[in-house]
Amino acid sequence: MDIFTVFFWIITGIFLVVSIKKDKNKTLKSMKMAKGMMKNMLGQIIAILLLIGLIVTMIPPEKIQDYLGKSNLFISTVISATVGSITLIPAFVAFPLVGSFIDVGASIVPAVAFLTTLTMVGVVTFPLERQEFGLRFAVTRNALSFLFAVIIAFAMGVIL
Amino acid sequence: MNRIELIKRNKLLAAVSFLYVVLFITMPDKGILSVKNSMYYVSEMLQIMPVVFVLTSIIEAWVPKEVIINGFGEGSGVKGNIYSFLLGSFSAGPIYAAFPVCKMLLKKGASITNIVIILSAWAVIKIPMLANEAKFLSFQFMGLRWILTVLSIILMAYAVSIIVKKESIPFGVEIEGEKISSIGVHEEYCIGCGLCIKSSPDYFEAKNKKVKSKNKKLEETEIENMRTIIEECPAKAISFK
Repeated sequence: MDIFTVFFWIITGIFLVVSIKKDKNKTLKSMKMAKGMMKNMLGQIIAILLLIGLIVTMIPPEKIQDYLGKSNLFISTVISATVGSITLIPAFVAFPLVGSFIDVGASIVPAVAFLTTLTMVGVVTFPLERQEFGLRFAVTRNALSFLFAVIIAFAMGVIL
Repeated sequence: MNRIELIKRNKLLAAVSFLYVVLFITMPDKGILSVKNSMYYVSEMLQIMPVVFVLTSIIEAWVPKEVIINGFGEGSGVKGNIYSFLLGSFSAGPIYAAFPVCKMLLKKGASITNIVIILSAWAVIKIPMLANEAKFLSFQFMGLRWILTVLSIILMAYAVSIIVKKESIPFGVEIEGEKISSIGVHEEYCIGCGLCIKSSPDYFEAKNKKVKSKNKKLEETEIENMRTIIEECPAKAISFK
């Protein structure tokens, strides 16, 4: 286990002890809720983890470097952002998925674009958003989110 | 549950399993290697999953969302923006779970700027997820993305408030004073946590990972109890009918 994971374990452990000491019932109740949410995602989590194995094994790193590497960065970033907008997978499993792509040589710029649009832009949830907030709001928010996701991605690429 | 339904509910898993079966038949050695590679990520995931799980629970239990919700209105400026960030970051569930909460806040007088902040922060900034991101992509990566995202959200929120006026947002006609007769669940918003079923199995049942109302007549004496359940629902998907 790396140092950060250990750090998170310690912090979480302390919080948990304090929480149980303060109100055991309340803690258990919200744990039940979180358990329900996790259970719902379990199928997807396992699927993505298995998919990562396939990607790492079957797609040669040169191919990933070709398509998601330093060359034609702008196109690959816009495509990644688009894929992120359409896809509906829990952010929870998106991190290992994106991590595996970077491990085999993808640039972080398209990776960041994908991560950001994945949660912030919702093509699938668009009808729902329009119904609640109106067309103008939904279009503006999603379009700007897409734009900023690309900007954040390139800024990360420049800084890191 | 029958097999077809099981596959339908786990489309992605079914598709990936199918790929593995094909792979094991055609290239068994590659299949074994794929499983081995997956196992590395599985073990990494198992290291961080309990942290995400416990943090989500504790935040859900102790962050006083009502206090945050009551803390801002139309004119509360920077303070309102900060409250919006907090509310978004400390909430669980996907972005559409934020829609009903935000709609309620708009009715209460929250500004468009703050609604965009809540929605965006809800989507991108999740405290337990930061641990996950740091784990798989490095601490530096997580921190930098967090800073850039917060800056972008602020710019975006103000841009949206200039382009979109509150008049363009549809508000449904409120039915008030009408007698409460039963209970309804917004299926699109339900995140399937099952909390309501545990609290009141008489009125709710699980169906396809979502909760459905049994549409039973609500007894007078049950209304108060139901109010607590409505408040507890993390997705705010339950309402009186």
